[in-house]
Amino acid sequence: MLDQRQKIIGEDKILFEHIWKTGKGFYITVSILGALVLLGLYAYVTQYRNGLTVTGLSRQIFWGVYITNFVFFIGISHAGTFISAVLRVLKAEWRRPISRASELTTVFILLFGVGSVLIDLGRPDRMLYAIRYANFRSPLLWDVCSITMYLTVSSISLYLALIPDIALLRDLGGKREWFYRILSLGWTGTESQHRRLERAINFMSILVIPVMITVHTVVSFVFAMTIQPLWHSAIFGPYFVVGAIFSGVASVIVVMAVLRKAYHLENYIKPVHFNNIGIFLMAMTLLWFYFTFAEYITIVYGNEPVHMAIFWSKLTGKFAPLFWLHFILCFVIPLPILAVRRFRTIRRIVVASISIILGMWLERFVIIVPTLTKQRMAVEGAFYIPTWVEWSILVGCISLFILLYTLFTKVFPIVPIWEIREGREKAVRMVSERIESYLPETDVAPQ
Amino acid sequence: MQFDRRGFLKIAGLTALGLVAKPGWEVFSKIDLPEPSPTAESLAKIRWAMVVDLKKCWSAKEGCRDCIDACHRIHNVPNLGTVKEEIKWVWTEPYEKVFPEHEFELTGEEYQHQPVLLLCNQCDDPPCVKYCPTRATWRREDGIIMMDFHRCIGCRYCMAGCPYGSRSFNWRDPRSFIKNINLEYPTRIRGVVEKCNFCVERLAQNKIPACVEACKEKALVFGDLKDPKSEIREALKFKTIYQRQPELGTKPKVYYIL
Repeated sequence: MLDQRQKIIGEDKILFEHIWKTGKGFYITVSILGALVLLGLYAYVTQYRNGLTVTGLSRQIFWGVYITNFVFFIGISHAGTFISAVLRVLKAEWRRPISRASELTTVFILLFGVGSVLIDLGRPDRMLYAIRYANFRSPLLWDVCSITMYLTVSSISLYLALIPDIALLRDLGGKREWFYRILSLGWTGTESQHRRLERAINFMSILVIPVMITVHTVVSFVFAMTIQPLWHSAIFGPYFVVGAIFSGVASVIVVMAVLRKAYHLENYIKPVHFNNIGIFLMAMTLLWFYFTFAEYITIVYGNEPVHMAIFWSKLTGKFAPLFWLHFILCFVIPLPILAVRRFRTIRRIVVASISIILGMWLERFVIIVPTLTKQRMAVEGAFYIPTWVEWSILVGCISLFILLYTLFTKVFPIVPIWEIREGREKAVRMVSERIESYLPETDVAPQ
Repeated sequence: MQFDRRGFLKIAGLTALGLVAKPGWEVFSKIDLPEPSPTAESLAKIRWAMVVDLKKCWSAKEGCRDCIDACHRIHNVPNLGTVKEEIKWVWTEPYEKVFPEHEFELTGEEYQHQPVLLLCNQCDDPPCVKYCPTRATWRREDGIIMMDFHRCIGCRYCMAGCPYGSRSFNWRDPRSFIKNINLEYPTRIRGVVEKCNFCVERLAQNKIPACVEACKEKALVFGDLKDPKSEIREALKFKTIYQRQPELGTKPKVYYIL
């Protein structure tokens, strides 16, 4: 029996240990997160009982932190798809240890993206009216459709890639065997089953990529389809997608680093993984800068008074501190760290990523709120200062996300064991064959 | 009377006469039957609009709020007392803010700061209607942009869509902030959007909007644009007509004449 167990675990014991071993660190983390979630819950109950008056929102500026959260969380969800689906399609082998961690980020954070909109509603008890009386001319309905599709496809992808690992846990026996047995769907790891799974995962990976692009484009359309100054811009579609991948990859880097430290995965998530993803993040930094620059230079050159009033409020006016802070966090700090090879250590890449995450939240805020101040018709003194309710709900959402993530790692392995093993056993040969197929034929002429 | 066929026919005849007596009396007497609800075709024959005569409005005493007070009183619009949460169906802004495209550096100062009455423009091509995810706001055939307070989910997307800032949101329960509740019009609950509705409930009773009625200077003219003999068509003849941001293509139905 023990031999059987040893055979299944093989040399990857550390990948199972975070399921079996629960240390002090885990309980402390869960307690802190639980307390923050309760704080967020208390804030929401306060809002539910008194109305949105408990926020800093007003007749002039009626969208704020909650809608920023919505765009921000949906943006982060793009990481998972990028790393697990796009890298799989591109046959990048270094995605193997991090594909499940990033896919999980996508699935869980999408729930909070949707949740943020529902939290923002004046009548959340009527939320199903958007489905019952749906107006398909409204970009919000396009959002409902695309995000539902994205959540469905991502969840199925996550589950499919989990099946072989669930089967491993089932074979190890123990208390939870019945649970894994049900979920493993009778997986026995035969050649034909692997082929079918491979086809299914490949199909899902290709399907989810256009869905991912649609999702954040449609989220941007909520703003771009209005005729408000600095919202009504054709660039918003691709701009938001780029921003999403940018903030999402930064989030996954932080998740990778935390998991690596907490669960001692140094042997599996190596500096080379961080280096590769760091280079990609640098490319995204430059791409994000390009879109931001293109957006603002066209506004400045056009010099239309209505647009310029809001532009100046961002650059030198009321929103200048937030605008410049976001620019420093999104561009000035990360770029040197990521661009210079010597600086691309794991710690520094994580610092750059945290800077980008904070900066991108501010970027969404700075896109949404200044347009609502409508400089020309502005009510005197209209300014937006979020209250403790809005901040608590933001903190609560993030904490609940981390909490759900942590609980997941207690039930399933976070590094896909079967993909690592496939990498060990087959990938080296497959990649060599592939590279050889690119090279010119060698003439093996007899001497 | 013998109970044979003849007898039966006599009794049947008398019964029928008795049954017909009351309805017949009603038909031929002058009792008013309720009018059927307006159909889409009958509504489409009308196009409601309003003209604001600025010179007449400015001839009133300073700080005149007759129209605003009448509207807010009749429609149970609460007074929340803060700029943050105010709800206003009709209000005034200085001229230079309403029509920023009119050149001010060279023109006189007399009317730059004069108040201009603002309300929902009841656009022919309304942006707000497009964005509502539940169709809680829609355009009636006679041009009025309607609100269904029971369907609104409070997402405030219509507020984001309106380029004129005509809509207000109930951030809290408004009931305690209404001075004298008018029992003939519903109050709203927290979490829904509201705006001027061209007094659609008064129009149904053949009355003109409350603001038009309340203006002592007769600065507001309301009527049917499709009726060539209406007062509003008369007011719009041979004058320069201003609208708020007409270049946006919303085709607003509130006109300003100076």
